[in-house]
Amino acid sequence: MADENENEKMDNENQKPEKMFTLKKWNAVAMWSWDVECDTCAICRVQVMDACLRCQAESKKDSYGKQDCVVVWGECNHSFHYCCMSLWVKQNNRCPLCQQEWSIQRMGK
Amino acid sequence: MEQTNPKANFSNFPINGVSRNHVVTIMPVPAKKLVIKNLKSTPELPEDYMNQTWKKLKGAVVAIQQSKANQYSLEELYQAVENMCNHKMASLLYKKLQSLIEVHVSRNIEQFVAESMDRYLFLKKMNETWQAHCQQMIMIRSIFLYLDRTYILQNHISSIWDMGLELFGKYILLNTLVQTRVVEGLLMLIEKERQGDQVDRSLLKSLLRMLTDLSIYNVSFEQKFIQATERLYAAEGQCLMQELEVPDYLVHVDKRLAEENERVLHYLDSATKYQLIHTVEKQLLREHVSQILQKGLDQLLTEYRLTDLGLLYDLLSRVKNGIVELCSAFNAFIKKRGKTIVINPEKDKSMVQELLDFKDDMDTVVTKCFHKHERFTNSLKEAFENFINQRTNKPAELIAKFIDSKLRAGNKEATEEELERLLDKIMVLFRFIHGKDVFEAFYKKDLAKRLLVGKSASVDAEKSMLSKLKQECGGGFTSKLEGMFKDMELSKDIIQAFKLVHTSNKKLSQIDMTVSILTMGYWPSYQHMEVSLPEYMVKLQDVFKEFYLNKHSGRKLQWQPTLGHCVLKARFNSGPKELVVSLFQSLVLLLFNDCDELSLEDIKVATNIEDGELRRTLQSLACGKARVLLKTPKGREVQDEDHFKFNAEFVNKLFRIKINQIQMKETTEEQKATEERVFQDRQYQIDAAIVRIMKMRKSLTHNLLISELYLQLKFPVKPADLKKRIESLIDRDYMERDKENSTQYNYVA
Ligand SMILES: [Zn+2]
Ligand SMILES: [Zn+2]
Ligand SMILES: [Zn+2]
Repeated sequence: MADENENEKMDNENQKPEKMFTLKKWNAVAMWSWDVECDTCAICRVQVMDACLRCQAESKKDSYGKQDCVVVWGECNHSFHYCCMSLWVKQNNRCPLCQQEWSIQRMGK
Repeated sequence: MEQTNPKANFSNFPINGVSRNHVVTIMPVPAKKLVIKNLKSTPELPEDYMNQTWKKLKGAVVAIQQSKANQYSLEELYQAVENMCNHKMASLLYKKLQSLIEVHVSRNIEQFVAESMDRYLFLKKMNETWQAHCQQMIMIRSIFLYLDRTYILQNHISSIWDMGLELFGKYILLNTLVQTRVVEGLLMLIEKERQGDQVDRSLLKSLLRMLTDLSIYNVSFEQKFIQATERLYAAEGQCLMQELEVPDYLVHVDKRLAEENERVLHYLDSATKYQLIHTVEKQLLREHVSQILQKGLDQLLTEYRLTDLGLLYDLLSRVKNGIVELCSAFNAFIKKRGKTIVINPEKDKSMVQELLDFKDDMDTVVTKCFHKHERFTNSLKEAFENFINQRTNKPAELIAKFIDSKLRAGNKEATEEELERLLDKIMVLFRFIHGKDVFEAFYKKDLAKRLLVGKSASVDAEKSMLSKLKQECGGGFTSKLEGMFKDMELSKDIIQAFKLVHTSNKKLSQIDMTVSILTMGYWPSYQHMEVSLPEYMVKLQDVFKEFYLNKHSGRKLQWQPTLGHCVLKARFNSGPKELVVSLFQSLVLLLFNDCDELSLEDIKVATNIEDGELRRTLQSLACGKARVLLKTPKGREVQDEDHFKFNAEFVNKLFRIKINQIQMKETTEEQKATEERVFQDRQYQIDAAIVRIMKMRKSLTHNLLISELYLQLKFPVKPADLKKRIESLIDRDYMERDKENSTQYNYVA
C-alpha cells in the first residue's frame, strides 16, 4: 500500500462501483494553534494560545477574547501577545528575548 | 392565679355550674325600681312588728334550707324585707339572716368529718351539699334582694351571696381534714382519668369551681396537682422512652398533650393551663430531647417518615432548644448519610442519581415537616457542601458525566421540560462543589465528544446548560466552553467557503468532506497519532490545509485522526449497506478493496495505527455485534497471528449500521493528565484574578486581596499558593509592594 502506484490505482478505483468499500463521507478533525517557537509569551508568561493576562483579567463578558488578543511575530521571529508587546514597546523598543530592535514581521489572524 | 375575686356575685353564679332552671322559677320580677324612701316620714309600726316579720322571713329561709314549700308569696316576703330595711332594721336583719345561715351550714359539716366515707361518695356528697348551698343562697338572696341593694351596698359589707360563701368556707372547706379529703379525692379522679378510666367530669368541674369560688383553688389544689403531674410524667417519660420506639413515643406525647389541653377545657381552671402544659412538655419532651434524636431521627429520615418527622418538629418546637438540637442532629445525619453516598468508589455509578434523590428527599422533609424553617434550609446546604467535598474531584467528575448522559442523543427518557428541570437540580449539586474547574475539565471532555460526533441531543439543551454554568460561575468560567461551540460554527462556515472554491474539483466532490477546526486550549488535549491515509485522502487534507492557512496566517494545523469518522458504502452479497465508522475503522476496511485476506501485521504496516488502538479497531470489526470482517482463528481477543477476511455474507436488517469503536478505558494516567491540566490552569486563573482585582482597587492590603480572591476563585486553594502567585506577579511588574507599608500592594499600570 505504501507503493505509489498502488495508491494511484486505489485512487482511481474509488470511483468504480464494484469495490467493496467506498468512502462516502469524511468528518476530519484538526487543531489549530499559533505557529510559534515558544508556547509561552515571555512578557506575561501565559501561553500564547490563551488570552494575555490583562485580557483574561478584563474579559468577563468578552468570551471570545482571542480575536482581540492575537499573536505578533517580530523580525527576530520571536512571538508575543500583541497586547503585551504593544505595552512593552512603549518603554523599550527591543525584543525582550533577543534585545534586537523590535519591528513587526506579521500578525496572527 | 386569677382566682382572687372573693366577691363572686350572684349574677355570675349560673356560669359556675348550677342549672338556671331552678332560679328562674323562683326569681322575682326583676323590674323593681330602686326607691329610697324618705326616712323622716316613717309610718308607725305595729308593736312586735319586727318579731312578726322576722318570724315570717325565718320561716321562709328555713323552708328553703329544708327544701320545703313556702307559705308566703315571694312578693310578700320581698316587701317584708323592704319594710324592715326602711324602718332601720337592716343591720339587725342582716345579723339574723347571717346567724340563720351559719347554723345551717355548720350543721352540714358533721357528715364530712364523722364517718370514713368512700372517697367517691364523699366527693358526691360534697358536691350535693355545695350545689344545695348555692341554690339555697340564690333563693334566699332573691328574698333579701332589697337588703343587698341598700344596706349592704352602702356599708360595704359582704353581700348575701358572699356571706354564704364565707360561711361555707369557714365551716366546711377550711376544715383541714375535709379540705384534704376533697383535694385528694379530686387528684385521685384525675389520676384515674389519666390512666384511661372514665370519670365524672361534671363532678370534677363543679368541685373545682367550688374551690375557685372559695378562693382556695390555687393554694389547696393547683400546686399539688402540678406536683402530681410532674411526678407522673417524669416516671412515664423515663419508662416509655425505654419501652417504645421513638415514633410511638411521639404519638403518645402528642396524645398526652391533647388530653391535658382537654382537661383544661373541661374542668380545670384556665389559669392552670400554662403551668400544666409546660410541666408535661418538660417531663415528656425536654428531658428526653437528645435521646429522642439519638434514638429516632436517623430512622425517621432514612425511612422517610414524613408524618412522624412533622410531629417530631412540632413537638420539639414546644421546648427550649428543641429546634436547635433537631437541626444539628439533622445536619449530622445528612453529613453521615451523604458521605456514604460519596465516599465509596464501588457506588460511583449511582452516586449522582443518589445525590439527586437524597437532596429531593431532604428538601421535602424541610418543606413539609420543618415548615421551611430558615435554620434548616441553611443547615441542609451547609451539610451537602460539606460532605460532597469529602472526596476530592470525583463528585465533580461524575456530575459532569451524568450531565453528559442526559445531554447525549438517544436519551429520550425525558421531555424538554423534564430535562430542563433535571439540569436545574444538577446545578444545585454543582453549586456545592468546591473544585468547579475539575468539573469544567470533565464536562469539556464529554462536550467535545458530543460536538464532534454530532451526538448532542439538543442544541437548546446544550445552550441552556451553558448559560446555567455561566450564571453560576461567570463568563470567565464558560468562555472556553463557549469557544468550543463557536469553533463548530466557524468550521461550518469554513467548509462552506472551501467547497465553494473547490466545486470544480471532481475528486473532492466525490467525497463529502467536513472539517472541524478546533482552537487549541478551548478543547481537551488529545494524544497525537500519525497514521497512513490513502493518498487521495492525504491530498484532500492538504488542499484544505492550504486553503485554511491562506485565510489564517500565523496559524498551524494539526490533524487529529483519532477524532475523525466516516461513512463507508459497502457491498455485501445481501446488498449495499452504509457503515458509520471511525476513521481508523475506515482505514482498515478500505484495505480489503485490494486484498482478500490480511494479517494483523499487514494491517499494522499499511495503516501505521498504534498497536493497541489497531487491535481494538479490529476487535470492533470482527468480534463485535456487526462483524463485517472474519477473523481466523475465531475468538474474542485479537492475537498476533490472526488473519482477517472481508465478510461478504454479512447480513443486517438495517441499511445504515453504526459500528462502535471499542473505547479504551480511561487510564489513570489520562485521569491524572486531566487533573494536572486543571492544576496548571488554576495558576493562570489565580494570576488573572489578582490582576483583575488590583486593576480595580489600585491598592490593597495583603489580607483584603486574599479575601477578595477567595470570593472570586471557583476552586479550593491554599493561602501559601496565593502568596506564591502574588510574588510571581510582583516579579513580572504587574504590581509592587508599597514602599512605606510592606503589607500593601499597588497596581502597576
Ligand atoms: Zn503575553
Ligand atoms: Zn491581550
Ligand atoms: Zn527576538
